[in-house]
Amino acid sequence: MFLKYKRLWSESALKSSYDLVIIGGGLHGLATAYYLAKDHGMVNVAILEKHHIGFGGSGRNTAIVRANQRTQENIRLYDEGLKLWPRLTKELDFNLMFFNCGNLNLAHSEATLNALRLQVATAQFHGIDSQMVSVKECKELVPALDISDRPRFPVMGGMYHPPGGIIRHDAVVWGLAKGVSKLGIHISQGTEVTGIGIENRKTAFVETNKGKIFTPRVLNASGAYSTLVSAMVGIRLPIHVLSIQAMVTQPLKPILNHVVSSGAYHCYANQTLKGEIASGAHMDPWPNYTNQTTAHYIKHQAQALTELLPCLKGAKFMRSWGGLADMTPDMAPIIDGNDPIHGYYMDCGWGYFGFKSAPVTGKYLARYIASECCPEILKPFTLKRYENYRMIGEIAAPVFYGPWN
Amino acid sequence: MSLKITCPICGERNGYEFVFGGEEQGPRPAQESLTPEKWCDYVHLRRNTGGVQTEWWSHRRGCGQWFTIRRDTLANREIKSSRENE
Repeated sequence: MFLKYKRLWSESALKSSYDLVIIGGGLHGLATAYYLAKDHGMVNVAILEKHHIGFGGSGRNTAIVRANQRTQENIRLYDEGLKLWPRLTKELDFNLMFFNCGNLNLAHSEATLNALRLQVATAQFHGIDSQMVSVKECKELVPALDISDRPRFPVMGGMYHPPGGIIRHDAVVWGLAKGVSKLGIHISQGTEVTGIGIENRKTAFVETNKGKIFTPRVLNASGAYSTLVSAMVGIRLPIHVLSIQAMVTQPLKPILNHVVSSGAYHCYANQTLKGEIASGAHMDPWPNYTNQTTAHYIKHQAQALTELLPCLKGAKFMRSWGGLADMTPDMAPIIDGNDPIHGYYMDCGWGYFGFKSAPVTGKYLARYIASECCPEILKPFTLKRYENYRMIGEIAAPVFYGPWN
Repeated sequence: MSLKITCPICGERNGYEFVFGGEEQGPRPAQESLTPEKWCDYVHLRRNTGGVQTEWWSHRRGCGQWFTIRRDTLANREIKSSRENE
C-alpha cells in the first residue's frame, strides 16, 4: 500500500557544457527536447526555465486545438499536429485528456461567411474535415446558441471542424516533462539566461544566474520573452508582446459540446471536462509584459457570452487570468536558425496559437537542429520573409497596434 | 489597474481612448538609398523593450493628437516625469 512513489519528472543539476541549451521550459522547448531525444538520440541537452515549466503561455492558454487555419503553410503544420495528440498520449503514457469535440466558428455577416468559404476550401484541399454550416445546423450543434435576431450581430452560419477540440494543457506540459526527463535530458527551473556568448558568429556559451554553460547550440523558445533573449544576440524581431486574458465560469452541467468561437464578438467558449465554461481572449492593443486582467474585458466577455449563449446569464466567473502573446505582423511564427549566427535557433512569434502546434513544431525543430537542415514544412516561417515581403497571409488586414494607424 | 495616458491636450485619460502607434524609432529612412532590408528594419523590426521606452500614441477617441510618451512596459505605466509632445 505504501509503495515508494516516483516523481513524474525530475530536475537536474546543471553541467558546465551541453550539445544544446534550450531557453524556455514551455511546450515548444519541452517538445523539441522530447523529439531530439526520441527521434535523434540527442540527449546531452539542457532546458533552462526562468520560473517553472509551463509557467508562461503553456499553462495559461485555453487549450483549444484545431487545424482550420487560412493558409496552406500553416494548415499543413497544424493538421499533423492535431493528429499527434492520441499518439503522444500513448507514447508519454499520460492522460492528455484530448477531447475532439469539434470547433464551430460563427459567422455574423455575409463577408465573414465568404471569408470562411476560403478557409474551408484550404482545409478541404488538404483532406481536412472542415465544412460550412447553416444557421440551423449551428443551432443543432450548439442548442444553447441564440440564433434569433436579438443579438447585436445575429448568427448567419458558420464553419465546423469536427476533428478539432480541447485538451488539458497542463497535462501536455507534465506529460512532455515526464518524457523528456525519462529520456535523460536535463530540466532546470529557476535558471535565468542573462546572456548568450557568440564567438566568430558561432554560439559559444550562455550566461545564467547559476553560472556559465558552454554550448554550440542555443534554441530560443522563450515565448513572450523571445525578443529579450533575441536582444542578447543583437537580433531584432517583428514582434509585439501583448497581454492576453482568459477566464472560466463556475462548473456547470453539460451545455456546450463543441468549441464555439465568434470573430465579431471577439470571443470563444468551450466547456472543459470539469464543466467550467472557459472563455477568452482579449488583448489590450499595446505591448506590455504584465499579466494583467482588466475589468473592461470581464464586462465585455460577460456581454458577448450572454448574447450568444443566453442561458449563461447569471453564471459566475470563477477565475480570470492573463498571459503574454508574442504577436507577429502576419499571425504566423518565426522559426529560423543558423542565420546570421551559426548554432542559434529561434522558435517564437507564436502569439496565441503556440499551444496547438507545440508537439509537431518540436518534432520538426528537432529534425532541424539534429541535421542542421531546415525541414520543408518549416521553411515558410523564416525571419527573412518580412524583408522579402513574403508574409504568410493568415490575416487580411494589418494589425491595429502599429504606426500605420 | 488599467492603463492611463496623459494626452498633451486633454490631460490624463483612460488608455482605451488611445491607439498605440509603435516604438519611437527615428525618422522614416530616406527614399534614395532605401533597400528591402532597411525598410523591413523600419517597418517591422523592433526592440520590444522590457522596461521604459518612448512610444507614439494617438488620442483616437478624443482629440486625435499624435504624441510620444515614456512608458514602462514591465509595469504598463506611463512615466510622467519627462513627456515629449511632437
